[in-house]
This record gives sequence, structure tokens and C-alpha cells, in this order.
Amino acid sequence: MKQLLCVLLSAMFLGVCGPAAAVDYSPHDTVVYSHMTNVGPLNPHMYSPSQMFAQEMVYDPLVKLQEDGGIGPGLAERWSISEDGLTYVFFLRKDVTFTDGQAFNADAVVKNFRTIMNNESRHNWMGIIDKIDRFEAVSPFEFKLVLKSPYYPCLEDLSLPRPFRMLSPASFPEDGDTSKGIKAPVGTGPWKLVKTELGEYDLFERNENYWGGKPNPANVLVKVIPDPVSRAIAFESKEIDFIYGEGQINFDAFDRLRKTPGVEAKISGPMGTMAVALNSAVGPTKELAVRQALQYVTDKGSIVRGITLNTHPQADTYFSPIVPYCDLKLEPYPFDLNRAADILDKAGWKIPQGKKFREKDGQPLAIDFCFVGNNAAHKSIAEVMQAQAAAAGIKLNLLGEEADSFYSRQKGGDFGMILSPTWGPPFEPHAMVSSMLLPSHADYMAQIGLPMKAEIDAKIHEVMSAVDKKERERLYREILTTLHEQAVYLPIFYSVFFEVYRPDHLKNVGFGAGGTDIPFEKITIE
Amino acid sequence: MADMNAHGDGHAHGHSHDGACCHNHAKNTRKSRPSDTDKKTFRPAVSGQKAALGLSAFVLTALLIMAVFAPWISPYDPVEQSLENRLAPASAEHILGTDHLGRDILSRLIWGSRISLGSVGLIAVLIMAVGFTVGSLSGYIGGKTDAVIMRVCEAFMTFPTFILALFLIGMFGTGMTNVVLAIVITHWAWYARIIRSMVLNLRNSDYILAARVAGGSHISIFLRHIALPVLSQLTILATLDLGHMMLHVSGLSFLGLGIQPPTPEWGCMINDARQQIWSNPELAIIPGVMIFLTVLAFNIPGDALRDMLDPSLSDAGKDGCC
Repeated sequence: MKQLLCVLLSAMFLGVCGPAAAVDYSPHDTVVYSHMTNVGPLNPHMYSPSQMFAQEMVYDPLVKLQEDGGIGPGLAERWSISEDGLTYVFFLRKDVTFTDGQAFNADAVVKNFRTIMNNESRHNWMGIIDKIDRFEAVSPFEFKLVLKSPYYPCLEDLSLPRPFRMLSPASFPEDGDTSKGIKAPVGTGPWKLVKTELGEYDLFERNENYWGGKPNPANVLVKVIPDPVSRAIAFESKEIDFIYGEGQINFDAFDRLRKTPGVEAKISGPMGTMAVALNSAVGPTKELAVRQALQYVTDKGSIVRGITLNTHPQADTYFSPIVPYCDLKLEPYPFDLNRAADILDKAGWKIPQGKKFREKDGQPLAIDFCFVGNNAAHKSIAEVMQAQAAAAGIKLNLLGEEADSFYSRQKGGDFGMILSPTWGPPFEPHAMVSSMLLPSHADYMAQIGLPMKAEIDAKIHEVMSAVDKKERERLYREILTTLHEQAVYLPIFYSVFFEVYRPDHLKNVGFGAGGTDIPFEKITIE
Repeated sequence: MADMNAHGDGHAHGHSHDGACCHNHAKNTRKSRPSDTDKKTFRPAVSGQKAALGLSAFVLTALLIMAVFAPWISPYDPVEQSLENRLAPASAEHILGTDHLGRDILSRLIWGSRISLGSVGLIAVLIMAVGFTVGSLSGYIGGKTDAVIMRVCEAFMTFPTFILALFLIGMFGTGMTNVVLAIVITHWAWYARIIRSMVLNLRNSDYILAARVAGGSHISIFLRHIALPVLSQLTILATLDLGHMMLHVSGLSFLGLGIQPPTPEWGCMINDARQQIWSNPELAIIPGVMIFLTVLAFNIPGDALRDMLDPSLSDAGKDGCC
């Protein structure tokens, strides 16, 4: 019966990627992974629809994020930083060629930097863009980068999955401007993209001459499976043999798989935070009291137990304490309904006789809570928070919408509360904090109503150029403490990555150093 | 029995032979329905049809009772969560078990019938109102007005209704009100067209001319001699369509565009259950069966009514219709 159900469900959900996927690869030497979309054009200098994990597979940065959170060598084997923190000289590896045979050298780096800097406005969410003064090839294997003013996360920014990655000079378009497209996705990374079938799969082949050592599997096949439920079924019916990342499968499926004999199901350390941003500029959340009350009414423990099935650790601060500069021992907001009721009563939000929800001056305490409607996990979280807030007389109107309108609300600040997960390890804290300066994400919109927003912004500018580590620690402490006390974010749990595979088939499966790379090259296949 | 009714009804409309003929004609211009093929098999088995009608009457009554008396008959508050007791199997406490947030499924089904039936009822009334107004204006006034209205109708009819509804909800935003609006906007054109042709035919019939000669005003002629027979046929048309509208509503809710949580709705419940399709398939099956039964219960009397009133069938042995 279960078998029959399996076949029927697989047929229903996987109709498209069944026998149609006639791919040329050796199944005994291939890792079959899946992703919600195709990997995209894989332009290293641009964003969606190119998928980060695949950009990581094909392109290398000058410097790489290490597992301990520090920065290690990449295409540059070492580097020097001048005393004043302005001049960076990168000494490049001499044994690297692009997969199309082009030589990798300082000229190639200059060519890549030039096209990135020509498209400045697209990348200004990262602090380094504003700071770069000039760059040049000092010798064939020495690349010099000069900043206008000191910028401490320079190396961190250069290690991000995009845009500072190296494309083969032969793949640039005639006019050298990659923002409109590239000729072919050719990099120096461990994998080459060899075939794309729209809506079906992308096939990668190993780079035999990879400077970091030849990858173990011969191929990585990435099937397109948009839906988490179908992905879990695809794993069970052995359509795919590797699940890795956040949101790839739902909590129940993970819970089921980890109880399945012969299946290894691992959970990573914190990889970001599932948080709700509260709009300090409009509606009832303008008031600090309401924002604080929302913190107290949320029973994070029950969400962790009941929705994540104890797979995710509860979050009490916006950034996890393991994030650099973020182990601040801030005082958590505990789950305390009485305290919430107290705060709201004092602020004038009272429950009128015979009514369920609080009011002040005839205005109901109702807040729009926005999330992406077809994300089942987000919807469950929103529903539980809605019930919890109702217990204290706060009405949350859930607005589950499709992704486009969600993002436009996020950018436009058209929300009361919005589910706003943080970006994860390579971006935290510096890139996320620096993006708080720009009206391009929920963070800026959530903070804009704070009376001390100008002060926060000044400190963000200051921290990014602080050369002294102690100084940075102090500034980060001040910024994050203010945001915590102002209760602009309601952190729920730290996100983690799920990793599921069959240990009799795959071995040496681990987690990547950052939040965006998947260590396919280390996997061995039995 | 069915035949007699058909005749009775036909005569009650006076000289409605032309009208009925055109009604049939107009109907054929609508998109063909799956039930068109079932009709033939239903017809000879009169006793079977009676049984089916009885069953559907029973189902509809039960649904109506569920919807009206939801607050009294549902064992729990449909939005009350209990995460500790999630995905509980059927038991004496929870007759149909609980969902992924520990809510009682039976209670959600019962309350869901309110939204599902209520929205379908509202949609039917709105479509009839819009279709009737526009269609009669077009048919009775004729001329340029008619031409303009009909071109607008055609514009609406060229799009597949579901796609157009999706597009409209994308513009208006999600929510049940917008779902109702979207379905009305995508469906009124068919009704307007049918009503136009009914009115057009009645307008030129002898007894209307007689009434005109006798000095009746346009308004009184329209209300007494045209609106009444048209409305009765319109009601039947709408009944035929209730199942179809029900599927539209649940379909859009399934996609997460309809009613917003925590209000229970059947399509929404199926969507939620998708996450547990492997471990708890019954979560999707139960509301699915409810939708199935309701659509069936709407379609059976709709088909029966059509059989009774369809002159091409009732007069099949004689001289045909047109």
C-alpha cells in the first residue's frame, strides 16, 4: 500500500522530471541534488535568477571564508594590508587556469573588477563599493586595491558569493560589460556547467585541474524540484540522493527522514535568524510599548517544539551569539503574557468591555503581518504567532501573498510586521548591518521610525571604517543593543541547514564554511 | 414526470418556444461542460436519477445545516491551536483528528462550509445581478448599446476564466472579497450574453407587441413580461454553475489567494495538508471529499433541471426545436 502510494505520489509530483531527464552522466559517480529552480545564467557579477550555490560551484573569490568564520586564501594565496588600512595587495596563485584554458592573472582580476565597478548602483548594498578608490595590476600576479577610507570588512565583502568572483576574460561580452550578460559561465571553480534543461535539470562536470584538488564525484546533477514536499518524496523514491540547505524540505519530512533507517539526517549550526521586523514608522508598532509587548506575547519555545519539531534553536537576539561581534549577552525578552498586558495597559491600549482586542482612542490594536503565502513554514509560524498575540488582545491580520508583492512591501515599508529572515554567515553581521543604511530591505523600513535612526546610521558608517577591533566591538555593541532595546526585530529561532543522504551511498558529507556553498567536491560515492 | 414538468414549465412562460429555442442556442455557445455527456446516461434511468436527486438533496440539506448551525454543532473552536496535540489521529475527543497546528478537523470542516457555501451563494447572486442587468439592457435597448456591451463581453470571454481570475487577484491583492470579485468579473459575461438573447427573442414576440400596442410603458412591459420569465431561467442556469464556482473558490484558496488564515476553508485546508501528504494523507482527503460531495450535489439537480427544461431533449421525439 505504502509502495503504491509512493508510486502514485511520485508520479503526481514529479511528472516532469521522470524519464524525460535523459542525461549523459555516470550514475555511479554523480551526486544528484535538487533545487527549486534552474541555476540560471550563472553570471558571477549579477544576482537572481543566478543561484548562489551554483555561482559558488563555478567561480572563485580572491579570498575565501573559512569554517571558523575567518578569511583564508582563495585565488590569492596571501595578501598584505597597509598600516593605514587603505592599500590591499593580493599575491595571486600562479597555477590557476580558467576551465576554458585562459590563464588566470592580475589582468583578469582587473577586468572583472572594472565591470563590477561600472555597475556600481546595482551593488551598492555592500559597503565596499563606496570605498574602492582604484585598483591595478602591479605585476602579472600582484593585484593592488586602494580604498578611499578604511573599511574593515573589505576581505569579507570580497569573499561573498557575488559579485567579486572571477569570470574568464574570454567569456566577457564584446563591450566588456557583464551586467547585460556573459558569453558562457566559465570560472576557475571546482565545477563546470555542462548542460541545462529548462525546468528539468542542470548538469555540472568536475574541473579536473581544479587548483584546490580534483573533486571526488565526476558530476553533480541538480534536478529542478520547486516544491519541498515533492523533494522529500523524490529522496524517498531515490530520484535524488542529497538534500542540503534551508527550506529544502519541511520540518515534518525531516523528522520522518531522521527516523528512517539507513538515512543520515544532520542539522547544522545556526545559519541566520528567522525574525520578524516590526515597522517603527507606521501603525500601532510605531509605539515602543506595542513592539515590546509583541516580544513578550510570542512563545518561541512552543514554535520551536510544535513547528520546527525541535530542529531549530530558539533565538533571543537578532544575530546568533556565534556571529562575530554578536555575543553580547543581551537580556532576552521572555514569554510573559502578564508583562505584555501590563505594558499595553500602561500605554493606553485597553480591552473594551465585551471585546476581544485592545483599542486606544477608538483605534483597534490590529497589525498587518506579511509573509510569502505559499511558504508553508512561514504560514505556520504566522498562524501560531497570530493565536499567541490574540491571547493578549493584539490582532494580527495575516497577509500571505505571492513573492513579488511580498518583496515590494519589504522594500516599500508597506507592512506592520514582516517575516524577515537574516542572510546567514557570510553576510552577518557586516553586510546586513551595512544594508540597514539603504531603503532596499525590510531592515531600513523597520528602523526608519526610530527617533535615533540617524545616530544608528552614523555608528554603522563609523563601524565599517573602524580599523581598531576594540572600537568595532564597542560600536557593534551599541548598534545592536539599541536595536534590541527598541524591539524592532522579533527573533524567533535560528535557522539551520538540513542535510539528508544515505550513508551507504554517500560518504564525507559535511556542511560548507559559509551559508552559500555546498561542499560537493568532498563527497565520495560508494 | 420530468417531461411533464418540462412542458408545464414551458407553457407557463407563455410563447416561450422561440425563447427556449434561443436559450438552448445560447447555451451551446458557452463552453461545453463535462456533464453534457452524462446527460444521455442519466435520462433513461429515471429511478436512478431520482435516487441521485434524493442523495444530493440530503447532502445539500446537511451542508446547509452545518453552515447555519456551525457555532452550535462544532465540537471545538476551529482556530484554537494546540501544538502539543498536532496531527492527532481520529479519536473520541477529535472525531477526525487534528491538523498540523493541533486544530480539530471536524470543527474546521463545519466552519469551512460557511465560507465555501456562503461565498458560492454570494458569487451566484452577484453574477446573476450583473449578468441580468447588463444582458437585459443590451437585449432590450439594442442598437449601439448592444454592440458595445457585446464586444465587452467577448473581450471577457476570450480569456480562460481561471487565468483571468488569477490575474485580477494579482492586481487586487489576496482575500476572500477579492476572490469573489474576481470570479464575478470573469463569469458575468456568459450570463449577460445568454440573458441578452433571451430578452432579444422575447422582445420581438407577439405578446410583447400586443402589450406595446395596448399602451404599456417600456418599464412595465420589461418588468412584467420579460424580467419574470428570464429570471426563472436564469436561476436554473446559476444552479447549473454552482459546482463550477465552488471549484473556482476552492482552487483559488488552495493556491493561498482566498481567505486568509486562521479562518477555515476547504481549499485552504487541502493546501495546508499538502505538507503532510505522506504521513497524514487523510488531512487532504477529508476536505477533498467534502468539496467532491458538494460539487456533485450541486451538479445533479442542475443537470436534472436542465434535462427537464431542455427542449431539444423533451421534444426530441417530435419535430425538434429549431
